[in-house]
Amino acid sequence: MAKVRIATDWLAGCAGCHMSLLDIDERIVKLSELVEFTSSPITDLKHPPKEGVTVGILEGAICNTHNIEVAKQMRERCDILIAVGDCATFGGIPAMRNLVGTDAALKRAYIETESTVDGVIPDSDELGKPLDMVVGVDKVVKVDLFIPGCPPRADAFYYALTELLAGRTPVILPPELFTYD
Amino acid sequence: MTMANITINGQKISTKAGITVLQAAREAGIDIPTLCDHPALSAVGACRMCIVEIKGQRALQTSCTFPVTEGMEIQTDSKMVTDARKLVLDMIFSERNHFCPYCEMSGSCELQDLGYRYRVDHWVFSTYTKAFPLDATHKYYLMEHNRCVLCGRCIRACDELVANHTLGLGQRGSESMVRADANILLGESSCISCGTCTQVCPTGALFYKRSAFMGKDSLTTKVKSTCNQCGIGCGTEVVTRGGNVLGILGDWDAPVNKGLLCKMGRFEPLYDSRRRLTAPLLRTKGKLKEISWEEAIQTLAKQINTVKASEIGVLSGSYSSNEALYLIKKLFNEKLQVSNIGLTNAVAPRIFDKGQSKLEDITKSDIILVAGSDPLNDQPVASFIIKRAVDKGARLIVVDDKINGLAPFAFMNVDMAGISKAVEVTKRANNPFILYGAGITKTAIAELKKLKDKANYIIVESGVNTVAAAALGLNNGYNPAGLKLLYVLMGEQNYEGADLFKGVPKNAFIVVQASYLSPLTEWADLVLPAAIWSEQNSNLTNIEGRIQKINKAVEPAGEAKPDWEALQLLSAELGKNIAVSIDKVSAEVMKSLK
Repeated sequence: MAKVRIATDWLAGCAGCHMSLLDIDERIVKLSELVEFTSSPITDLKHPPKEGVTVGILEGAICNTHNIEVAKQMRERCDILIAVGDCATFGGIPAMRNLVGTDAALKRAYIETESTVDGVIPDSDELGKPLDMVVGVDKVVKVDLFIPGCPPRADAFYYALTELLAGRTPVILPPELFTYD
Repeated sequence: MTMANITINGQKISTKAGITVLQAAREAGIDIPTLCDHPALSAVGACRMCIVEIKGQRALQTSCTFPVTEGMEIQTDSKMVTDARKLVLDMIFSERNHFCPYCEMSGSCELQDLGYRYRVDHWVFSTYTKAFPLDATHKYYLMEHNRCVLCGRCIRACDELVANHTLGLGQRGSESMVRADANILLGESSCISCGTCTQVCPTGALFYKRSAFMGKDSLTTKVKSTCNQCGIGCGTEVVTRGGNVLGILGDWDAPVNKGLLCKMGRFEPLYDSRRRLTAPLLRTKGKLKEISWEEAIQTLAKQINTVKASEIGVLSGSYSSNEALYLIKKLFNEKLQVSNIGLTNAVAPRIFDKGQSKLEDITKSDIILVAGSDPLNDQPVASFIIKRAVDKGARLIVVDDKINGLAPFAFMNVDMAGISKAVEVTKRANNPFILYGAGITKTAIAELKKLKDKANYIIVESGVNTVAAAALGLNNGYNPAGLKLLYVLMGEQNYEGADLFKGVPKNAFIVVQASYLSPLTEWADLVLPAAIWSEQNSNLTNIEGRIQKINKAVEPAGEAKPDWEALQLLSAELGKNIAVSIDKVSAEVMKSLK
């Protein structure tokens, strides 16, 4: 049987969810007999392969135009999209920016910080443009499964992937793996 | 009682007619989720979580407010109901910041529990954007409006339980906010810091500053105990973690206070800045020096053996436990024949022959007469009960020569000399209630006697365990003249100034058993460190005469020992072994206090 292909990526997040994914420990060996991890921020291949993957996993919130591009590309190239962590599902910590507004947040971070001298707000065509609102991934692309948690428990990742491999959908996380913090 | 036969989820139930659908369901063991509902508060149907389908009703109904009637058919878990509940929850989550990871109450939040139950795994509606203020002006708690779900529990608690009416709701729609008084900061409001609002808040909108971020609920231990700040004896739950007291909660099951506490009981013990005594101290060459308990007890026994019984005096503060007061009586009075025993606070006189009523009976009265005591300042939880009755239409009469905290709530204020006027009015009531304290005058006593056939009463003793001290006869006959040894049982009581030792001969050997360093201990020749409220197993007697247990929540500081334990060590050293265990002492206390 051909291996199921998985791609992961992160948006406005802290990488904590990916760390939690790696926390499935030695079970990753068993898992890699069944799946092929293609692209991820922690492998050489950074973009999901053009020919597509079965499962796409996104960590982090949508806070700039670059995040939207990455989310859209992942959506186009995967069959099942999983939003993992509180940022991807709810907006999380980055969404606290909504309470003060993007302009005020940028000004505070790049100009008014006590340790900053002659600060400028980065502005380049190479960079994504910050959005007015930080939102969860589902606000820009369709999401098939949400795994909240800060970070989601390693067992939640393992549970969801093994359920999908067994062909059991929708995935219903057991209560002990359904958590917000 | 009229019964009603109803059906819930196909299950036939016979229940009392007129109770709510929610109550009927709970009695039958059927779970309906709630958020704004609280057992101690009235039902208002604010949150819409408890909605159910009732046959014949046009729309879903809030089960917390809908009374059952004969033949009613109810569905609590149909798809229509659960979909609607999910919608309600999604809407609650869409406003304000209900994001758990950086909330103090995560893990003990009723909104979070509902989120888990109904699997809220993303925001269906827009992500929150509007920031509400954080009111940190209150000394003891934070009001984080961003976590508020407008359930109104805090407002109802402030109105219905404490009758203080500080909190209310301001603005409309999504701008609605819980407000203090006329929209001023909580710290500057008429709030009396009883903290009841923090205890009923289902989310992280109101919480203690002191214990914030010191451990989630699941990491803490709760020990049921009794507050020892006044004579009411409110039931508490002491929250501890790793041997530290994090907070104090009111015990909803406690018969006296039914969950309420006041500033004195809930917060002040945690903000005590006095220095603890952690080892016995003996005055050697003019200075107090640390010694062992063994040495301290031996020294004390030797001193007692060198003087005559008539040269020994004992003074007790009312903070002491039943057990300690009993041992004082047994050891000094009965075994050592000491009769010079006194109490540091006054005891109110008996006026009526019949037995006392209970505090909860106040709510059943039409006229409440308070004479010579100031419960609003000295026994606040009793004042909540009085103010509650006043809210319901009872008339309050305050008789006092001093400024009385309850005066603004009274329909009649007179001084002691004018008590006959108050008694005249009270006579006309159907169900009067009298609360009097040690501040009462002779004339007032004579006047109150006129009400002996009609009135229910409670003697509001000052201090803490005054009822037990008086019952054991520790309140008569103290005279400092000619003393060679004075034993002072002070406990946690704050005693500034040295007037307590007025008349005590300079060369007398003074023993002070206390928890805190004070001018009093500076006078002492021997200091015995006493454990405090959180550190001992003992009993207290409240003003109603209830004997209630103090349970140990943490270890005593340093070498401190419970007051009764020190007395027992002393009695053993003197060869007068009185009782061997706390249980045995307690049992004897119960017998002698009955």
